[in-house]
Amino acid sequence: MLTNRRKELTAALILLTPFLLIYGWMFVWPTIQMVRLSFTDAPLIGPGNNIGFDNYVRMVGDPVFRTAVWNTSYFVLLTVIPGTAIALTIALMVSRLRGWVQSMVLAFFFLPYILPVSVVYIIWDWLTNVQFGLLQGIIEPIMGRSINVWRTIPWFMPGVAIITIWWTNGFSILLFLAGLRNIPRDLYEAAALDGATRWQLFTRVTWPLIWPITVLCLTIQLILQLKIFDQVYLFAAGGRTRATMVLVQHIYETAFQRNQGGYAAAIAVALFLIVAVFSVLQFQLLRIRGQR
Amino acid sequence: MIVKSFKAALLSGVLFAGGAQAQEVVEWWDFLGGGDGVRMKQLIDEFNAEHAGAIQINASTLDWGIPFYTKVQTSAAVGEGPDVMTYHASRIPLAVSQQTLSPISADDLAVMGLSADGFAASTWDAVNVDGATYAIPFDTHPIVLYYNKEMLDAAGLIGADGLPQNLDGRENFSAALQALMDNGAEYGIAQVTADGGFAFRTIYSFLCQQGGSIGGDGNWFPDDSPEKLTAAVQVIADWVAAGYNPSYTDYPSTVALFTSGASPFMINGVWEVPTMADAYARGELFEWGAIELPVLFDQPCTYADSHAFAIPNNVGDPMTPERHAAVLEVIKWMSEHSLFWATAGHIPANDAVTASAEYQAMQPQATYATLAANMVFDPKSIHAGVASVLFEEAGNAFTAAMNGEVDAATAVEEMRAAMSALQ
Repeated sequence: MLTNRRKELTAALILLTPFLLIYGWMFVWPTIQMVRLSFTDAPLIGPGNNIGFDNYVRMVGDPVFRTAVWNTSYFVLLTVIPGTAIALTIALMVSRLRGWVQSMVLAFFFLPYILPVSVVYIIWDWLTNVQFGLLQGIIEPIMGRSINVWRTIPWFMPGVAIITIWWTNGFSILLFLAGLRNIPRDLYEAAALDGATRWQLFTRVTWPLIWPITVLCLTIQLILQLKIFDQVYLFAAGGRTRATMVLVQHIYETAFQRNQGGYAAAIAVALFLIVAVFSVLQFQLLRIRGQR
Repeated sequence: MIVKSFKAALLSGVLFAGGAQAQEVVEWWDFLGGGDGVRMKQLIDEFNAEHAGAIQINASTLDWGIPFYTKVQTSAAVGEGPDVMTYHASRIPLAVSQQTLSPISADDLAVMGLSADGFAASTWDAVNVDGATYAIPFDTHPIVLYYNKEMLDAAGLIGADGLPQNLDGRENFSAALQALMDNGAEYGIAQVTADGGFAFRTIYSFLCQQGGSIGGDGNWFPDDSPEKLTAAVQVIADWVAAGYNPSYTDYPSTVALFTSGASPFMINGVWEVPTMADAYARGELFEWGAIELPVLFDQPCTYADSHAFAIPNNVGDPMTPERHAAVLEVIKWMSEHSLFWATAGHIPANDAVTASAEYQAMQPQATYATLAANMVFDPKSIHAGVASVLFEEAGNAFTAAMNGEVDAATAVEEMRAAMSALQ
């Protein structure tokens, strides 16, 4: 029995070692280095002097950092819950379809998800182009003039949010659809026999049983959207980047354009903590609600 | 057959590296992805054909801007950089501070037969930092004023010499824009207004036309430069307010407005010359031309930058003397053959090339090449240069100002504050 256990442990260790080595080398070690870098005034390349908490003190007083935190939070608000709600709605509708029609409709919704961000950017940049864009045909009658969505600060984040939902929704829809298929048919039949209305079927059967998937979607979306970068970077390039700054973009600019590796690392540590705290909080909160 | 012998040549180069018979393979990086990239590839092919068995360029094209410079910086730091690369003169101060570049010695210059006298003074100055030369200028690429000859002619703006006339001075220029619009043009001029970083090239030119300048770290806007910069921004803001220039319009749209005939003027870099030349050759474009920016203030002055050749400082992997000699040969050959490069719109930096009869016969290149006497380059700072913090802050400050969302003076103050806060 004892030898057996030792054998098992040895086997487990041998099997785990490749993973642990790669994980330690590629993830844990760089993270430790990043934290160490955040206490120095290092440039992008090369060593720097230890300056204690100066970078963190500077961060608190940095107006661009505050803008970036606000914009990132605003973007999360605009995308996570609305995006998940839209995905659930679409999944509910798609699940009522059958056969090849369902596959085709699903493919339409999933199509944007396979596009690279540069293509998404070019499509929407031309659609909204202030001189030639198709969407100006809608904007102009409402606003009285054509508007450059990506240079009008109040329009910017909602604009990026709509595109992001359009772009990434396909994945959430797939998750929801899989969840909906896992709900046993007989539950609906039993509820229908008891005279449940459509609304009751949804609130009493579908919603509680789809909740774990909802939690999963919300968590994936939250982590993903806290790390928003590409779309904002592309749409804002050359314009008022400071007003539309988000956290990862601030890290990128500080490190790669301003050559301040130490300060960029400090912002990265802050983002790391924000993501960790938010995802744990959200997951716990949603779990408790699910167990009621 | 050719491929086979090439492979054999490559193999022998590897086997006998360092030997007298060895063929040197020069690793080359550039950021030329557009119409000029096609022309550069042709030059490289010509070089390789001419140097078969001796030197071969192995070229890679990378992403323009921050991605290119980040890659160069990081790869040179670990000895994985190329042997030679294209570099913007305006980015040299930052590269020098990061020890990314190897200086080019007086001996190297002598070997190539090149010297300061062979280049425009401002261009040569741009590749020197603290008395050391860090790159050999290949071209200068200023911004120019493109014009639609047919529409200008209809508005009476073409002189007896066939070139645009009566454009100097702000009032004259506005009158010209008005005349063009009265003659049916949708806009008078297309200047990028959605990207203050791009428009900075025009604004900086107008600042220099007033004798103003941008300083450097510690004193970014000396003396009365803030007022002059305000006046420079105001020029574009006035165009937009009067409806001469479309508001919040991005780069591709300005080109489309010009080529579609909606706007008879466009301010853009000389790198759009091949676009126009090719479209004209296909019969898809009107009679067009390009001239030096008109003098709206006191003196002619135009923003320019330079594509130069630089040798990275590959840490821990110093170059062999043979490879170094091959790199010098590459730079020398390219400089001497830069006439073909002029078809990409850029002005060859080598004065001997621009003085040649062939260049003087090239149009519109020869017409705008005279502006080389009145160029202003980016200030020498690690925060200046193309795709730099200075451009970024110009984007932040001037995008709103050009379109009348904030007034020009406020934007200049915002820019001054942002640049002064740099650390």
